[in-house]
Amino acid sequence: MTARFLPVTQRLITCTRSVLSAPILVRERWLLNNGRHRLFSSMTGMLRSEDKVIVNFINRDGEKITTEGKIGDSLLDVVVEKNLDIDGFGACEGTLACSTCHLIFDDDIFKQLDSATDEELDMLDLAYGLTDTSRLGCQICLKKFMNDMTVKVPEGVSDVRQAADMSKTTSGI
Amino acid sequence: MGSQNKGGLLSGGLYEGTRVSKCVFYRVRMGVPPFLLTPLQPDLVHSDMSKEALTLADMPGPSLPGFIYDLFCRKGMSRLHELQLEGKAKYGPMWKASFGPILTVHVAEPTLIEQVLRQEGQHPIRSDLSSWKDYRLSRGHAYGLLTAEGEEWQSIRSMLAKHMLRPKEVEAYGDTLNSVVTDLIGRLEHQRGQSDRKVVADVAHEFYKFGLEGISSVLFESRIGCLQVTVPRETEEFIQAINTMFVMTLVTMAIPKWLQCVIRKPWTKFCQSWDSMFAFAKKHIDQRMKEIEDKLSRGETIEGKYLTYFLSKENLSMKSIYGNITELLLAGVDTVSTLSWSLYELSRHPEVQSRLYQEIQEVLQGRALPSAADVGRMPLMKAVVKEVLRLYPVIPGNARVVADKDILVGGYVIPKKTLITLCHYATSRDPEVFPEPDSFQPERWLTRDESRHPYASIPFGFGKRSCIGRRIAELEVYLALARILCRFEVKPDTEGCVVRPMTRTLLVPDRQIDLQFTDR
Repeated sequence: MTARFLPVTQRLITCTRSVLSAPILVRERWLLNNGRHRLFSSMTGMLRSEDKVIVNFINRDGEKITTEGKIGDSLLDVVVEKNLDIDGFGACEGTLACSTCHLIFDDDIFKQLDSATDEELDMLDLAYGLTDTSRLGCQICLKKFMNDMTVKVPEGVSDVRQAADMSKTTSGI
Repeated sequence: MGSQNKGGLLSGGLYEGTRVSKCVFYRVRMGVPPFLLTPLQPDLVHSDMSKEALTLADMPGPSLPGFIYDLFCRKGMSRLHELQLEGKAKYGPMWKASFGPILTVHVAEPTLIEQVLRQEGQHPIRSDLSSWKDYRLSRGHAYGLLTAEGEEWQSIRSMLAKHMLRPKEVEAYGDTLNSVVTDLIGRLEHQRGQSDRKVVADVAHEFYKFGLEGISSVLFESRIGCLQVTVPRETEEFIQAINTMFVMTLVTMAIPKWLQCVIRKPWTKFCQSWDSMFAFAKKHIDQRMKEIEDKLSRGETIEGKYLTYFLSKENLSMKSIYGNITELLLAGVDTVSTLSWSLYELSRHPEVQSRLYQEIQEVLQGRALPSAADVGRMPLMKAVVKEVLRLYPVIPGNARVVADKDILVGGYVIPKKTLITLCHYATSRDPEVFPEPDSFQPERWLTRDESRHPYASIPFGFGKRSCIGRRIAELEVYLALARILCRFEVKPDTEGCVVRPMTRTLLVPDRQIDLQFTDR
């Protein structure tokens, strides 16, 4: 994949907006819509199974969320399925029309990912805080080698879109 | 947001440079004008912005009589895209203007467009499109994807996007679209046969029919005969109705409501064109629905990869299906003007056409029909279409309304509910972003230029309210171009005949494009 840099230097400067600064109503709504919000700061009680891998998300505020996902599911599926509270994630519901599910990967994992399609690259270009190891979460499907990988949600998307309505869609993305 | 913010404020517009007091909102960078910087924390900005930022009162722009003069005396209605360039040259990257009764803020810098789109909210609103809504209310029709807002819009969007936007799903339309392209090639053969010099006159008109047949095949999985030798009258009428409706959309927007009681013609024509579009859609939907019912009553299973069928399974009311399919039909027709522009530019750039022909040949390896996957291996094809869409964006100016909060764009507080016009034509022809902006250079898209602002050319928009037909339209254009170029060499009919774009809500050619189709 071509080396990717930030399109404008201003993008290098990150912001510090956290999920906590999301308007209360929006957060309430997120919880209501999903109905079964859980905390994922602990691995206790999680099922271990052959077809599941553990994924660590570093949220916008730096908080680490550890969860697990089914092999074959996309990272967006995982966020939806587990109701992870990531502000504004996956606004277009995995239809490759936005870049709000932008995630930053560690180098060694990034190198092993299937290469991005032109469609994904075009959307990534429009992402906020693009890095050399950025991908869209809706396009990355879990594989065994990804077990215990850590992906970073870029900080400071000045974007108030919420993924609250994602619960309406099917998970077969 | 009122004028109370003006106390002590600079009134010179955008070019004041960075002031210390603005540092609350912007990352401080010496010498960088405020409009190039992104707001730091929207929430913070929101609570504090009334104290410091510029207001609409400070924003430059033409006087009302001046703008009316431009619109009606300088053919401004069909030159709205050029007015973007003129406005930017005169007032800088942000200016305000009154389009009839509506005050709109123009935004003509990629960074600013990015700022607007990042703050568009959970249920983005394109614009009021009040005349479209008024018509539906007056006739008791349901809103479709183009006119619905809020939760209603979201549920339709989610329903349709999963069938229309996901590249994997769209690939499945490849066979259907290929069969429409086969008819298009036949139609072009027939049309060029009418002329000694193998000229197809007014290719855009042929492609409108192709567009309508293409979107119909996706919606109904049946063919409606637009590309036959004798075109059904209802097809011609439908295409004509779309044309009239788009022209009248701008006219009815520019005329204040009270004046429309006196000047009734635009509104009447506007309604008549919508009536005939709704009737056309209803006829075809009813026909397909009846087929589905008949099959079910015979105990047969229904298989289908067409949208009317998907919608019928989604518990959507018939009224809503009519509303949506009508809007999808009309959206699928004009957008194919990209095909006309592509062939126009390729005919004038034979070296690019020849390289593209080589590329298609190499990928197809003698096979007659390209697939969606084949297109993925045609970088020049994609670059050509990107360049065509940069030069001739189908939507030259899009819009956003942020209904629930004031937002900060380029140092100005834009009060909630303000219509913001995104000047895509101006940014995609900006020499700062695209050197020699008026020349056709697909090569610029073959390498990823990191210095080019990615929001300078976003012909399909970006985000959850972006074009829902994007992937289908792209596939349709790629498949058609590949087949046309394999079969014909396309040349200008008359050397030196220059066709320019004009605005008809959408951007269309200002005169007919005649092209010579010789055998390969």
